[in-house]
Amino acid sequence: MKVEFVEPFVKAARDVFQLMMDLDVRRGGLRASEELIPSKDASVAIAVTGDLLGSILYSFPKQMTLDMVEIMAGMPVEEMDSFVVSALGEVANIISGNAVTYLNSANYRCNIFPPQIVLGRDTALDMVTPKALIVPFQTRIGEFDIMITLKEANERVEALL
Amino acid sequence: MMWKEKYRIGVEAVDNQHKELFHRVSDFLRAVQRKGDWSEKIPKVKETLAFMQEYVIVHFRDEEDYQLQIGFPEYEEHKAVHARFREMINQYAVRFADEGFTQNLVQEFGGKLMTWLIVHVADMDQRIGAYVREQGGRV
Repeated sequence: MKVEFVEPFVKAARDVFQLMMDLDVRRGGLRASEELIPSKDASVAIAVTGDLLGSILYSFPKQMTLDMVEIMAGMPVEEMDSFVVSALGEVANIISGNAVTYLNSANYRCNIFPPQIVLGRDTALDMVTPKALIVPFQTRIGEFDIMITLKEANERVEALL
Repeated sequence: MMWKEKYRIGVEAVDNQHKELFHRVSDFLRAVQRKGDWSEKIPKVKETLAFMQEYVIVHFRDEEDYQLQIGFPEYEEHKAVHARFREMINQYAVRFADEGFTQNLVQEFGGKLMTWLIVHVADMDQRIGAYVREQGGRV
């Protein structure tokens, strides 16, 4: 899997957290994993199709999820209910949508499927690459991961003309 | 409250409508998320859905008219985003009619409404304000 597929998601995550929650996001070092499995309590899986195929998995601690929604809603948020899960899914959806826009401008035409919520850490997802890349992030309200497994749908022929 | 001063685009008529939208969504979320008997919350849910269906038409039309008036270059893109939002609201209206105003479905709707509104106003609509300022600030 090409490391260049990671940067659009990093940029999009940084922008969306700042825009929607006024949160600064610091990126940690990239790791590789042989499985795509939630690293924290609440996760959102988003499938990618088009020139790139695969999945993105966003994984957040429970308290961080509640705090994120609390910041957006401007009111106390204490339970992981359908409101919180829906908002979390949309945040991951918006990050992915922005990342795909960046990939489109790099000439990878892709689309995303609606977000799927995964609660708990038991469900392993299918991988399209031998290893998934994991990008850890830090914010003042907690740490989260974005895990990426993406491959090119077809052998791309670079036009030189 | 969900509204933040950074959401102002500097065009008073548009800002006032945005504030009203944030106020309504905030109010709706507080009602839905408050502890208590679910059936007592349903009138508020119906009122908000009706408001969204009516008010967004007025707001989007006013915003689109304003964009045309100032020659906003992203008018078509913005109009398409408005259309998708109206479609989302209408799809939920259909689901509420079919499945009932269940707590889960209403909360899911609340999550989408809130995030959409923040992104729309904090990101997309800021470009209207930026364009007006680029043109010399006449609004």
